[in-house]
Amino acid sequence: MDNLQELLHGFGIAITLSHLALMVIGVLLGILVGVLPGLGAPNGVSLLLPLTFGMQPVSAIILLSSMYWGALFGGSVTSILFNIPGEPSSVATTFDGYPMARDGRPTTALATAFGSAAFGALVGVILITFLASWVAEVALAFGPPEYFAVYFLAFASFVGMGGAAPIKTVVALGIGFAIAAIGIDTVSGSVRLTMGVDELVKGVNFVVAVMGLFGIGELLVAVEEEFHARAVSSKIDWREVFRAVGRLPRHSVALLRSAAIGCWMGITPGGPTAASFMSYGIARRFSRRGRYFGTGEVEGIISPETADHAAGTSALLPMLSLGIPGSATAAVMMGGLMIWGLNPGPMLFVDQKDFVWGLIASMYVGNIVAVALVLLTVPVFAALMRIPFVVIAPLIVIICVVGAYSVSNSYLDVVMMMGFGIVGYLFKKLFYPLAPLVLAIVIGDKAEDAFRQSMLMSKGSLGIFFANRLVTCLVVAGIVLLLLPLALQLARMLLRKPALPGDPTTSQEKVII
Amino acid sequence: MISRRALELATAVLTGSFGVAVVVSSLDNGIGWSSAGVESGTFPFLTGVIVVLGSLYNLARGALPGLTLASVPIAITPTELRRLAGLFVPAAIFVAAMPLIGIYLASALYIFAVLAVPKHQSPMRSSMMAAATALGLYVVFERMFQVSLPHGALAAAFGF
Repeated sequence: MDNLQELLHGFGIAITLSHLALMVIGVLLGILVGVLPGLGAPNGVSLLLPLTFGMQPVSAIILLSSMYWGALFGGSVTSILFNIPGEPSSVATTFDGYPMARDGRPTTALATAFGSAAFGALVGVILITFLASWVAEVALAFGPPEYFAVYFLAFASFVGMGGAAPIKTVVALGIGFAIAAIGIDTVSGSVRLTMGVDELVKGVNFVVAVMGLFGIGELLVAVEEEFHARAVSSKIDWREVFRAVGRLPRHSVALLRSAAIGCWMGITPGGPTAASFMSYGIARRFSRRGRYFGTGEVEGIISPETADHAAGTSALLPMLSLGIPGSATAAVMMGGLMIWGLNPGPMLFVDQKDFVWGLIASMYVGNIVAVALVLLTVPVFAALMRIPFVVIAPLIVIICVVGAYSVSNSYLDVVMMMGFGIVGYLFKKLFYPLAPLVLAIVIGDKAEDAFRQSMLMSKGSLGIFFANRLVTCLVVAGIVLLLLPLALQLARMLLRKPALPGDPTTSQEKVII
Repeated sequence: MISRRALELATAVLTGSFGVAVVVSSLDNGIGWSSAGVESGTFPFLTGVIVVLGSLYNLARGALPGLTLASVPIAITPTELRRLAGLFVPAAIFVAAMPLIGIYLASALYIFAVLAVPKHQSPMRSSMMAAATALGLYVVFERMFQVSLPHGALAAAFGF
């Protein structure tokens, strides 16, 4: 087992005093941004990004990924204790987590959530351990057409499976691609889409977009409703923690099913948010106690939490082995990889073994650190929620402004960030998905390069995307996913003649990012 | 009060005009096939066209009554609008003041204004929080991480 040997080597890199310290810092910062409404994993990670430029890449990625785990856990804390999801992906946790906590069992709810989340993350990491290097090996043989086909497939799966309105997803993707194209064209060297603003020659940095879309945008959405943090008791009863975790194996079917859903949604970029909702919906349909869901059912907590973390973790698999991030946060991390001078994709597994396996090993350790820290710090962060929103909101604005400015010391970036904030607010309000927009900004250039190189190879014929079996399969799968929503709608129209007038906007639609 | 339909239409117009701008601007770079391969305007041109078409679809869908939007006819109520403005307007003024008075002074004034003017906190506590914010920014960025933040034209005039 080559993989296990590499993994052991990775543990040697991950378990050093300085890296463990970075994990603790990362997880704590992650819980902080996860708990605060308006700050989430994507902009938390982008805020930290400029501070990692001086670090070794492996230390930097350990810090950033630990922050990601912390944010995933932190989001669940506020969902359960306050009925306020700190992260979009933990909205589904509020459905059963808050009722259970309100009924006087907050420790049970938290322990169940963290236990199943840790299980989901573990499944995701195991999947990465055994699958990532294999995928990378296959991908080593990829040429530009195959790469373009994989990018196409990734974007098509957002349209087909993302859960938001398909055309809105397409518009979000298109805008992302156009923003990615702003600045100097990497192939010809000509300047594109600057619309007369000279400073735009350097392009639009994705960090600026993330700060605005997720930071200011989310803040504007959050400020509309006045928060009343009606907290249930945040005291942790340690004996109950172990008892609740001990009861988890009884729900092994739900755990495994949710982990499978999560991994699938993480690898094919559907994202943790869609994964947790899908898992919750399926659990409600198949559980024997399905009709009690919403009143504090254990499986109603297990299902979304397991899927959320499984998806969040496995989103790093395509990022590492193909250079395609499976979630918005993974996209930000991938942007970091490129800034540190690494080339995300299969060559990482050949050139940067220490980096890859150090990261994978750190995921095992980091998640354990995260579970321990989040349980220990629940009272602290719960107290933080009692700070009035009017105090927190301007601080978050300042943090976003500084974050956008420090990317390249440019005032224009700050102004653009505010602009992205308005766009983010409108998009969130109207259920345009934000994750594909960020993804397209980060990998738009690479997708375009792959397309143009393929065209050079084939002298301008699109036939190259059907030249061999692999690339044909990928392209056809992508087209099928693109047409999936259309086919579903047609089928629905044929089966049930009148479409329900005024389909109730599902709560899932409200939070798709 | 802003209706959901108005917001949908406005957003579709916004994305659509961005698409048109992209299409027009990419025509300058040349689209199609040249001896050097795909010309640099082609890809943006195609994405621009997709954005325009998608926006037209969203526009039509937003304009037609009785579709899925019916369940939430009101997007932003007057109270919500007031809260939104209460957050965004001071933030925008803060950003606008940054190049002139620098980030430290601007952020301190911003925090003070947001807390003390609507009487969320007493003037005393507000000014303490404002000072703490500016000091915190300075210590974390300028000292710990050696990231220079804008000091502003005013500070430059005094020779900082």
